Amino acid sequence: MFLNAVVLVLREILEAALLISVLLVFTHLFQKSWDRSFVLRTSWVAYSIVVGCLGAAAYSHYTPQISEMFDYVGQEIFNASVHLISFILILVLVFFVPSNRLAQRVSRRSQVAALCMIGIVMFAIIREGSEIMQYVGGIASQAENFTPVMLGGFIGAGIGVSTGVLLFYGLINLSVSWSFRVSLILLCLIAGNMGSQAVLLLTQADWLPYTPIAWNTSAVLPENSIVGHLLYALIGYEATPSVLQVSIYLLGIILIIVSPLFGKAWPQQHSLAGEN
Amino acid sequence: MRSIRLFLIASIVATLILFNFVAALQGYQSSMNEADILFDNQMLDLARLVSNLDVSNASSKDLRLGNDLAFQIWSGEQLLAASNNAPEQALQNFNPGFEYTNFDGYRWRTFTRFEAPLNRWVIVAERTDLRFVLAENVVLQSILPLLLGIPLVGLLIWVIVSHGLRPLQQLSSDLKNKGASDLSPILSADSRIELDQVIESINGFIQRLSTVMEREKRFSADAAHELRTPMSALKVQLHNLSKEIDANDESFLQLQQGVDRMQHLIEQLLSLYRATPEQFANNCKTLDLYKITQDQLADLYPNFEKKRQNIELIGDSSDIEADQFALETLLSNLLVNANRYTPEGGEIVVGIHDLGDEICLSVEDNGPGIPDSEKTRVFDRFYRVDSKDDSSRSPGCGLGLTIVSHIAELHHARVELKDSSFASGSAFCVYFKKKR
Repeated sequence: MFLNAVVLVLREILEAALLISVLLVFTHLFQKSWDRSFVLRTSWVAYSIVVGCLGAAAYSHYTPQISEMFDYVGQEIFNASVHLISFILILVLVFFVPSNRLAQRVSRRSQVAALCMIGIVMFAIIREGSEIMQYVGGIASQAENFTPVMLGGFIGAGIGVSTGVLLFYGLINLSVSWSFRVSLILLCLIAGNMGSQAVLLLTQADWLPYTPIAWNTSAVLPENSIVGHLLYALIGYEATPSVLQVSIYLLGIILIIVSPLFGKAWPQQHSLAGEN
Repeated sequence: MRSIRLFLIASIVATLILFNFVAALQGYQSSMNEADILFDNQMLDLARLVSNLDVSNASSKDLRLGNDLAFQIWSGEQLLAASNNAPEQALQNFNPGFEYTNFDGYRWRTFTRFEAPLNRWVIVAERTDLRFVLAENVVLQSILPLLLGIPLVGLLIWVIVSHGLRPLQQLSSDLKNKGASDLSPILSADSRIELDQVIESINGFIQRLSTVMEREKRFSADAAHELRTPMSALKVQLHNLSKEIDANDESFLQLQQGVDRMQHLIEQLLSLYRATPEQFANNCKTLDLYKITQDQLADLYPNFEKKRQNIELIGDSSDIEADQFALETLLSNLLVNANRYTPEGGEIVVGIHDLGDEICLSVEDNGPGIPDSEKTRVFDRFYRVDSKDDSSRSPGCGLGLTIVSHIAELHHARVELKDSSFASGSAFCVYFKKKR
């Protein structure tokens, strides 16, 4: 029970913590070049987490009713939608935000960017939070499981949040241009992961056709190993992904690479160093 | 803006949690493995014990054991003895060693042993779920303090980091509380090695700034002082000239106006630099603001009369701690200012009000007033409000209000520029600390 709780909570918290850290790094990097709307202060994360937690509580409360929808695949469809919305919000973020004050309509675009980030964090909390609430709520209701599950949950959450905090401080202490590059690459992987998860859930709901398995690395790196869980949280690692999942994953990465924001990361003359 | 304190606390606590919790997980796994070995050893002992059991008794097939343990003793195909919870058939194949099996709705860990001298097979079994829970409870008890200690450790780190950053905070507040005119060096009595260089650099900078400012002040004061003599000579020459030529000649009048203006500028520059903190501190004494205001009004009355302005003084005698010369200069500047910018026949009210903690000196007029956009700039040196009325241009030089704010600052008083209570015009209010 203890180890299961650690693994489940760690997996969910780590995924959310990495996402929040990367977006906070963006907030930090663009503070000077974006419009100073209130959401660009760090407090936006707090609001998103609070709203996300309320959403997660509501979702886990109504899970039985949601599961019965769409011929009993309601939960898969709901989760897939949340993943897809997050995937689209990340794309909007990297395609439409201003990367410097010279960009046109900075104010409007900054607000769009801020709303995207609020949305991404909120949906991540709803997604991960509801899974934790359902698991902990279900298991901890049995008296003998309470202590191991709670202890495991705290340890998993502690490791996840600490990794997020260290990633955030690690990234903002890099040089501005490297901090921007690494955050963008992480955002690429997170977006690919979201897209791939959405495809997996829609396939499970029979809304998408089954495609052959692209590869099987379960012998080399099993999904349920510690490294497997870490890689899942970081890059969405799966030992047996389908061809469609891999395609969507790559599509997500390619879309971010061709985005204007990614373009700003590499040529020396456009680096953000001069702006900050 | 990034906080050093937040960075230190968050990253230290995060590192501590990460390493402690990962270590706890590692400890959990190795403790569970050790517990497994311990339980296996117990089964081994149990098997040895059971193998010597007397099986002649009929009740030996229904021996009572706890729920978590079971055993069987076989001789060939015959069951010689068993615990009451063991099934009829053999718990395990007759292969010596540890294995797993399922019966009675649970999963069991089994140990099979052949007792050669007695020609018996002994099989003991233990419920895996119960032994796991038992082991886990023991191991988790050792992890619990680690978890409960984290808030305490976090608090300690917060206190230590805050304490460690105190010299930096002290330096920051020293710099913040330093008055604009305070160019004394920062004392580093409670300094740290890491801050010594910073304090040294700041003090060096203050020293250079002080030297430059002193040089500038001396230059202006000396220049103004040195200019007084030729200026007096010029005035005498002008007076003599007025007897030789027509005194109403346009060029002569302009020359006279120019000389007056230059003399005023020199006097004002001298007033500005005479009001230094050192001199001020030496000459401070208790003065009646009302009385001094009355005297100044009397001195300047001809100016108001010339412009047919109606001037009124309201209020009561109020004592303040001030330098007489500086206070007179402040008053004369405010009054001259009101006289200059109020049109002919205008109204001027000078008030002295006791506000409890403060004494407010106000000079209000019904002149054109000062646009909001210029209100913050009127106290700047050589700044003059644009006026369409040419008569107000002479002989002002834009130093009057700078002197007023400078003298107010020396008296720890504050100057506010407000709209006058008349339909138009300005009100200059100086709030002096009341003498206790």
